[in-house]
Amino acid sequence: MGFGDYPLEYNRNVHGPYDPSRYYGKPDTKFSDLKLSEIPAWIGRRNKSPQAAASMISRAYWRWQIKYLLPRRATPAPYYQFIVGSMLLFYYINHHRLAEHTRYKYH
Amino acid sequence: MLSRVALARKLAPATLANARCSSTQPVLWKREVLEVKEHPDRDLVNFPRLKQPELPGPVRMGFIPEEWFQFFYPKTGLLGPYVFGAGLITTVLSKEIMVVEEEFLFGICFFTMIAAVHKMYGKDVAAILDKEVDKELEENRRFVHENEKSIEEAIQGELLAQKQTAAQDMIIESKKENIALQLEAEYRRRNLKVFQEVKKKLDYHLEVVNIERRLQQQHMVDWIVSNVLKSLSPQQEKEAFNQCIVDLKSLASRA
Repeated sequence: MGFGDYPLEYNRNVHGPYDPSRYYGKPDTKFSDLKLSEIPAWIGRRNKSPQAAASMISRAYWRWQIKYLLPRRATPAPYYQFIVGSMLLFYYINHHRLAEHTRYKYH
Repeated sequence: MLSRVALARKLAPATLANARCSSTQPVLWKREVLEVKEHPDRDLVNFPRLKQPELPGPVRMGFIPEEWFQFFYPKTGLLGPYVFGAGLITTVLSKEIMVVEEEFLFGICFFTMIAAVHKMYGKDVAAILDKEVDKELEENRRFVHENEKSIEEAIQGELLAQKQTAAQDMIIESKKENIALQLEAEYRRRNLKVFQEVKKKLDYHLEVVNIERRLQQQHMVDWIVSNVLKSLSPQQEKEAFNQCIVDLKSLASRA
């Protein structure tokens, strides 16, 4: 699988047009359907290669985009989500600088 | 506490049973299935062809996914997520994880402005944009409809042309019949001509034979008569003459 290729599991004849928001491998149990005791095994089963991580992020991005940004009568919600998300991200990144401005010693 | 309220209201048994599986929650937002002609290997059950959604996923407060609230609902009831959010903000502020410094006010102003613009102009902008979307959809539909119509017309034209070709076949058939009739007439004319020619020839031969025979007969008669006349002696002539006279006399006496 080269850079920019479709996933190896994707077969046009079976799966139809490529959906970038979809995982074409063998589906595991949903994370939200797990019991707490099953979580470590579930994490152990995950493919942790950089490619897998990148494709996961790409799928999540496309799922978000198809759900909020690409419908015909989209709302400004995705823009707000982007603003809030980037605010939180940059707050986290700059937190060690902002922490200099704390006023109270004891909480 | 709220979950206890929920239990008291008998909401709990079903909802608690469902609490573990988020996939059993009512689905708020789902992509529609598009149906077109597919490859025979196509797995349409697990991999349906999806349409562009008409509406986005539902959100509350402008941007927070409805699903997050629904995640809270079976466990905490309606107010749970709000309480959770307020509690989170309070904690974060009180522990100074979120530091109230000079930019904090900017954040408040920023969100207030966005919320104000959203409330004041949101509906008008949405109406304008919806109208644009409708126009675009209408144009697409018209484009498809016109294409369909032109294809329909082409099919009609093709059918008409086929009908005309069938008529052409009939015309060719009648022309063939016409030529066959002409050939038949010519054949009969030539047959007649042959018959006439043969008849003429036969007539000629018949005439020739007839004339020959007549001439032969004539000649024979002439020859016999001349020979007979030649063979008659004067004596015989005389006897005959006398005999005639006698006969005449006997005839006269009887008359």
